[in-house]
Amino acid sequence: MNSPYTQHTLPNGLRVVIETMPDVRSAAAGFLVRTGARDETRDLAGVSHFLEHMMFKGTPNRTWRDITIDFDRMGSTYNAFTSEDCTVYYGWVRQSDIEKQIALLADMMRSEIPEEEFGKERKVILEEIAMAKDSLEHLAFDFIQDKLFAGHPLAWPILGYEDTVADMSRDALWQYFQRRYAPDNMILIVAGNVDPNHIIDVADKLCGGWAASGTDSQRQPPTMKTGTDVFTLDRFNQQIIALSFPSVSSRDELCETAGVAASILGGDNSRFFWNIVQEGIAPRVGAHCMDYTDFGVMILYGSCQPEGIPALYDAIKEQADKITRDGVKPEEVERVKNKRRTGLAVEAETPYHRLTQLMDDMEQYGEPRTVDQRLAEVDAVTVDSIANYFEAYPINIGGHLASVGPSQWPNTEGEPGGNGVSTA
Amino acid sequence: MSNIVHDTLPCGIEYGVMHLPGRHIVSFQIRMLSGVCLEPDDKLGLARLLSHTIDMGTEAHTGREIADAFDAIGASHGGGTGRETTTFSCTTLPDHFERSLELHAEFLRTPTFPTDVVDVHIDLQKQELVALEDDASSLADKLMGEKAYGSVLGRHALGNEASLAQITRTDIHDHWKSNFCAGRMLVTVAGPIEPKRVADLLQQSFEGFGSQERSGREPFKGDFAPGMYHQDKDLEQEQIGICWPGVDATHEAFATQQILLGVLSGGMSGRLFTEVREKQGLVYWVSAWQETPRNTGMLFMGASTMPDRCDQTYRTLLREVERIAEDLEQDELDRAVTGLAAHLDTRGDSTRARCGELANDIFFFGRPISHEEKIGKLEAVTIDSIRTYLNDYPRDRLCVVTLGPRALADEAVRTRRMD
Repeated sequence: MNSPYTQHTLPNGLRVVIETMPDVRSAAAGFLVRTGARDETRDLAGVSHFLEHMMFKGTPNRTWRDITIDFDRMGSTYNAFTSEDCTVYYGWVRQSDIEKQIALLADMMRSEIPEEEFGKERKVILEEIAMAKDSLEHLAFDFIQDKLFAGHPLAWPILGYEDTVADMSRDALWQYFQRRYAPDNMILIVAGNVDPNHIIDVADKLCGGWAASGTDSQRQPPTMKTGTDVFTLDRFNQQIIALSFPSVSSRDELCETAGVAASILGGDNSRFFWNIVQEGIAPRVGAHCMDYTDFGVMILYGSCQPEGIPALYDAIKEQADKITRDGVKPEEVERVKNKRRTGLAVEAETPYHRLTQLMDDMEQYGEPRTVDQRLAEVDAVTVDSIANYFEAYPINIGGHLASVGPSQWPNTEGEPGGNGVSTA
Repeated sequence: MSNIVHDTLPCGIEYGVMHLPGRHIVSFQIRMLSGVCLEPDDKLGLARLLSHTIDMGTEAHTGREIADAFDAIGASHGGGTGRETTTFSCTTLPDHFERSLELHAEFLRTPTFPTDVVDVHIDLQKQELVALEDDASSLADKLMGEKAYGSVLGRHALGNEASLAQITRTDIHDHWKSNFCAGRMLVTVAGPIEPKRVADLLQQSFEGFGSQERSGREPFKGDFAPGMYHQDKDLEQEQIGICWPGVDATHEAFATQQILLGVLSGGMSGRLFTEVREKQGLVYWVSAWQETPRNTGMLFMGASTMPDRCDQTYRTLLREVERIAEDLEQDELDRAVTGLAAHLDTRGDSTRARCGELANDIFFFGRPISHEEKIGKLEAVTIDSIRTYLNDYPRDRLCVVTLGPRALADEAVRTRRMD
């Protein structure tokens, strides 16, 4: 089968990745900028996200108003997001508008970061931070990152801190932008019923004049902390607990295995579902792998009312111990694989979903992966590979426990491994 | 439209099939025309409990066996409880369509509602009620729904603690027996499946499933309660919700209402985003939307902002709606039309989206509707028709809900007559 992908690198280093989808009527395009929260310093925490907002605020060719109007004139489904690793801008349009969509996104990538919009956008971001503080899940996630990766940039919240956002200067943003938004640190990705040669011509015309910066991420993997940390928040009713364990990076050959193991443990129709939810211990519980290019974490989490937390903790520990010691059954592996096959077929339908997956592939693997490749990776997962995974990365010893909510459980005062109690 | 078949089967099921050759998945949706509105007044939360326990045990299989059977074919399935319907959705590879439908027929027709499972789910639903208190925007939606629609249409699917304490396994079984039947079923299918095959399978799978008499199509009456409502809560932000009556999905002015919402909130160039967020920096989140239970239409605006800015945010939201009648421009209107039309086109690549769209068309209009017809209605909207709409459906009876540390100041409230 011919590859559906075309790849090209412009002389200035901008990579262009195109997936041709002959059977669709729409197309999607996006710029992936390889900069995110883990590229920040503590005093500039939130700068990547702030920049993401400012990229909609004006270019030499368009005011902020022109940018939003031009998106909406195409009827584009568009947005942007910032993660620890990257910042992404995208639009999903009718096939006939894809060139205009790429042109608009490319223009945004040469933002002027207008001074007059800077103060207003700071207020918007402070509102976003306030909104996040009304979400127990968001607070819990930020707390876990803060404690797990203490002292490492991954500990900073993606939105930044109130003080770093309040103190951030337009000059600091501009310097960061100049360094990080260079073509040799960006990828243009397009999916849809498009002519790849034409897209490359368009990219060359729009982006070929951008100057490379030779920037390189100085990323180091974090050292994951162990022990117990508690964050008491009186104004919430539920308590969230999370047990975190070292896992594989996204580039490790056991990455897919780790994902399947997490699904068996905490996905739909999983061990957690039948042994915890259906036993009435807690309404929400799951397992998830956080994959980065240089390390990974498996998180087992759940939430319920504070009085139920000790039972929830015991139940999660019991299941974690059982799967580490006894492994999994062939039928459990097969069930997850079957669902992945259907999921891949669903994802292959729309340019938007393909764009999202290509973004992930490019960030995590540096290359697009065909459906056949991804299926082969799923098919390679076996009972034995899962046993090997848990032998190397057991989830029944060590790890880190975070507890967030109105209760101070567990009371770790004076106990070994008890890192402390934070309050808000 | 030649690829769509819409009909009613002898067993009572109304169905629609969109034949999409070349696609690699099949999506189907079963809408049982029975939602929270049919719950007895003292058993609120019953419909959701029914939808969460119906596949947890059948006459032939345990809940776990049913779940394993779905996983054996890799089918992705789920359910949801709405005001007027309970929906079961499924996406599967074409080879497994028949088996997926068979499994749905099994749990819809022969559920056993094991007592121990029901007891656990009642407890879980009570816990979800507590969890709702930790979710500011969902809690604001719940408060808004109660005021916008009243005691029947405005019910929350979770019910309340007192009503959940009343519900037994027998209640769930009896509610299923009374309200789940072929005559209340609307089934839509999209994918590379021949309509004749779908019809045969549905007839074979659901023949004799309760009453075949067509039922569940009657709309429920809303009970709009204009006024100003505030609930104190220790939050960083104040949640603001505003609603007022509009037109339902079948009304001739519905397309105009859609465009009005597009002008307000169709994209980042919409008036709310532009004025409230971009120009004044008052919010991160602001939006306008509509809900259209059958025979009812309700328009909403929502925002969350820090408490000291909620009065200004509230005033700006209201001003922006009124200003449309004064200075709407053709380019704004055109953008709103393009936004809605492009949305139809891009989502058309998704089989799941096509299936859901077909279900909506039949549910609201009783027939499939082509994209050309939908877009034609949108393109017929003019600046004058929007002005007429705003005049015919004035915002003189508003329902305003705030959730957070403080109520709106009197001065802000006085900008509008509430009832």
